[in-house]
Amino acid sequence: MEERPAFSIQRSGASQLNNHEISGGLSSSFPALSTHLEETYQKFPNTQQAHAERELMTRPLALATHLPTNNGVVGHIFSSSSGFSSDIHYSSALPSEKHSRNSPFISQSPTNTAALPLSQSSHSLLPQSTIPSHCNKENSGSWCTDPDFLDFPVSTPVLSSQVQNSSCSGIIRSEDLGKQNDWQEWADQLITGDDALASNWNELLVDNVTNLEPNMAYQVEKPCTTVLAQNQQLPSPSVESQSVVNPSSSANNAPAKPRMRWTPELHEAFVEAVNQLGGSERATPKGVLKLMKVEGLTIYHVKSHLQKYRTARYRPEPSEGSSEKKLTSKEEISSLDLKAGMGITEALRLQMEVQKQLHEQLEIQRNLQLQIEEQGRYLQMMFEKQKSGLDKLKGSSSNQANPPVPSDATNESPTKTEMESSQRDPGNSGTGTVNAKSMLERSPQEICGEHKAPETGDLEKPKTRVSESSSQQTSKRPRIEE
Amino acid sequence: MKFGKRLKQQIEETLPSWRDKFLSYKELKKLVRLISSAESPMYGKEDAEAEFVYLLNNEIDKFNGFFMEQEEDFIIRHKDVYIQELQQRIERVISTWGTNGTKPSEAEYRDEMARVRKDMVNFHGEMVLLVNYSNINYTGLAKILKKYDKRTGGLLRLPFIQKVLQQPFFITDLVSKLVKECENTIDEMFPVQVEEEIVKEQREAITVAGKGIFRNTVAALLSMQEIRRGSSTYGHFSLPPLDLSDSDLIHSFQLNPPIPTV
Repeated sequence: MEERPAFSIQRSGASQLNNHEISGGLSSSFPALSTHLEETYQKFPNTQQAHAERELMTRPLALATHLPTNNGVVGHIFSSSSGFSSDIHYSSALPSEKHSRNSPFISQSPTNTAALPLSQSSHSLLPQSTIPSHCNKENSGSWCTDPDFLDFPVSTPVLSSQVQNSSCSGIIRSEDLGKQNDWQEWADQLITGDDALASNWNELLVDNVTNLEPNMAYQVEKPCTTVLAQNQQLPSPSVESQSVVNPSSSANNAPAKPRMRWTPELHEAFVEAVNQLGGSERATPKGVLKLMKVEGLTIYHVKSHLQKYRTARYRPEPSEGSSEKKLTSKEEISSLDLKAGMGITEALRLQMEVQKQLHEQLEIQRNLQLQIEEQGRYLQMMFEKQKSGLDKLKGSSSNQANPPVPSDATNESPTKTEMESSQRDPGNSGTGTVNAKSMLERSPQEICGEHKAPETGDLEKPKTRVSESSSQQTSKRPRIEE
Repeated sequence: MKFGKRLKQQIEETLPSWRDKFLSYKELKKLVRLISSAESPMYGKEDAEAEFVYLLNNEIDKFNGFFMEQEEDFIIRHKDVYIQELQQRIERVISTWGTNGTKPSEAEYRDEMARVRKDMVNFHGEMVLLVNYSNINYTGLAKILKKYDKRTGGLLRLPFIQKVLQQPFFITDLVSKLVKECENTIDEMFPVQVEEEIVKEQREAITVAGKGIFRNTVAALLSMQEIRRGSSTYGHFSLPPLDLSDSDLIHSFQLNPPIPTV
């Protein structure tokens, strides 16, 4: 579980950042650069951001060393961005990865801030600074890509062909935590100072990471999941060390404050603090924040939570005890009774019944979905390994001309049908892998026969699809079974 | 097509403040069509994908924001719901045997308890609907990604869905826990009477009117059943048909006004 000091940053604290850098601080005037960035940024939405990135890709070394140096980076970004519209080589190895990272460039900074530990302790967040609306749109749910990005160079030893990448990662690795911390603060500053800065910065760094082979994707995702896993495990530990700031972006709220995911424990601490201060009306956000002593919690989180708390408290009170309210509630209940004129008790019991059932089914469905994706991922990895192993055996480049897309697609289809039938019973949870292997042998007819689809009409279509995939499956079978 | 219609129905049935928080399934589907059909050199494939991913990420943001807001709300309220109920009971006890002396009428008591029960059941329903919200949006995303891959031959689905699985809006553990808690509390406070079981058997078609939470949960359950009834593209990461053991209960429901089926 990570210790998270309050990770806010003062704009004036730029000098603080410079102290922690490896390279010397280039303290060029921040505002001047900001405006420059903004101008360039304006062009971005129209053209492909990828262009700029590719251009800037040529300078990852410089960027990496200047990670903490906002000013230095800015200088670099813009010195090379002048020719961004020119033709550049573009690696399309991971288009999806790349673009999923390209888009959320704004939110990555605040999310990153939350996601990774900071060594600085005395900073105050600048969440009030409003991100312009166009930048807000850039906030994305792929907030885990930032941890990805930062973790990735650290965790993967050898990157792709790009020399720059490896040196970039080397640099990042050597500075590691310190770098990450500084980077976040710097990124945070940029967010508050200028969104364009952060966006460019993230694009640049992200771009370095994404020029990799597809099979790196899973490793890339893993750091993300570990970071997130840590986030999610936070509810259990004690409140004091608990910093549940969830790094997802606050997309629709204008301020740049990272989205906070509250837990019951945290709320308990909140309530206690509020009560100590004399109740929800009298307590102030600042006081509550101080009393709670939770790292990573900002006054804005507390403020909004307090507001909600007050509203929630205020509403039930008037409804209690007043006879007037009783009357209306009586009418309410009787009007609610449109469930075929049954008694209130019966109606509520029925409602409860339905709700319970819905919840149960939702849980089952969710588990199934998780299982499906997990198996899909596992099998995909297996196929990738097989494929790379086979390619190595064959050696010649001509044999490697198996186009990745169709093979993946066809590889997916037999696996999916297997998983489909293996997941027929919700209780059939742990047998996935075994089933998958055994089902490779089975005929598609058998698999179809297992389908519980009541209508025979439905059986027609799945059959045709499965038989299609099975023909491809047979062609792939020798490879798989090797 | 089926899912789109079901989703639309659910959105129509849902609580008003939730209406615009769902997945823009139709728009995304149109975009996929557009991307697959218009493969012009001007707007290359990578760019189209970038745009698509960008939109998806926006949707995910939306879900996350809304979900966590609601979750926070539930966390704030959940104790109060039970406290309220407890207070009612204590009040009852006091006024029955306390200094007041006068015993409140049975009807008043029953009304009071009914009101409390209703609040709790509705609270439970709201939470379940949030879980449903999470799930249906996830399902929509999975479907859209599948469509995208199918139409453009891309490989977007698998890595992207892995990412979605990590999103806060999909991790519904806490809300589920609160739901269970609520269920237990309600069961303790309002134990199901034996007579009511008998009544269930004699029940005719139940018409669910109004716009309340109950209606929404019924709609959600019915939708889920429909969606999982066996699709035309069965077999690829598809969920098996819904198995409702107590199918009598759900089939005896009928939403009023009747919704035209597909």
